[in-house]
Amino acid sequence: MKILIADDSRVMRQIVTRTLRQAGFGGHELVEAADGRQAHDLAISEKPDLVLSDWNMPEMTGIEVLRALRAGGVDVPFGFVTSEGTDEMRQMAEQAGALFLITKPFTADNFTDVLGPILG
Amino acid sequence: MTSPTTDDLQAITEQVWLSYLDPEGTNPFLPSEQAPTMPCVIAAVSVTGAWEGHVVMSFSTEASKKASSALLGMEDEEVTTDDIADAVGELVNVIGGNVKSLLPDGSLLSLPHVATIDEGVNKWPAAVEVCRLQGSWQNEPIAISVWTSKSTG
Repeated sequence: MKILIADDSRVMRQIVTRTLRQAGFGGHELVEAADGRQAHDLAISEKPDLVLSDWNMPEMTGIEVLRALRAGGVDVPFGFVTSEGTDEMRQMAEQAGALFLITKPFTADNFTDVLGPILG
Repeated sequence: MTSPTTDDLQAITEQVWLSYLDPEGTNPFLPSEQAPTMPCVIAAVSVTGAWEGHVVMSFSTEASKKASSALLGMEDEEVTTDDIADAVGELVNVIGGNVKSLLPDGSLLSLPHVATIDEGVNKWPAAVEVCRLQGSWQNEPIAISVWTSKSTG
């Protein structure tokens, strides 16, 4: 499977990559986006099987990326990995079509629980 | 309006350290009277909207390097200025996001701002400190504070 990791922090993209490996999902092909615009464009051009996206990013926020993808008919499975996990944001995420919202700080166990059913 | 407390900061900080900086639980952040002095590295995110203020972390130069190398899985001496800006910016983003979850709906979190301060003052105009957690990690001082704008506090 191909996973797109979108986060404006290189450190966080690296932590997400490491945590995927620790959670037993190390064998997948990874693509990285450093802002929301890039995430949107790569979600179309790279055709990933899953997008793991930060919420707060330059150019476009994660929720704007998701809405733009859905408006353009792109149905890629999409989940948030964000430091903000309020009920308000969870609702917005769900309404826009996100599968899940993982809050930072996260552990490998969080990834296993949430991503296991999706990545197998 | 309920404001975040030092206990809240301590609970959030413990989670962040266990997830990213001290997964083995062998090098915890130890609260104390110790606080960073200049020169230091400051990382901040602002909250606007229903609640207005700032979440600020300050690190001794050495603490910022150690935090960055731990997050990146590198040696302290390999860490560049850009690595530090990215790493401590992400730390304050995670802590700020968790502080924001304690605040009223309708608040927005900014992207992080990071600065190195050699001397002089670090001022937050029209804001008052709500709570503060300070102490040391690997014998290097780190402080985390929450400030609210006087108009909304």
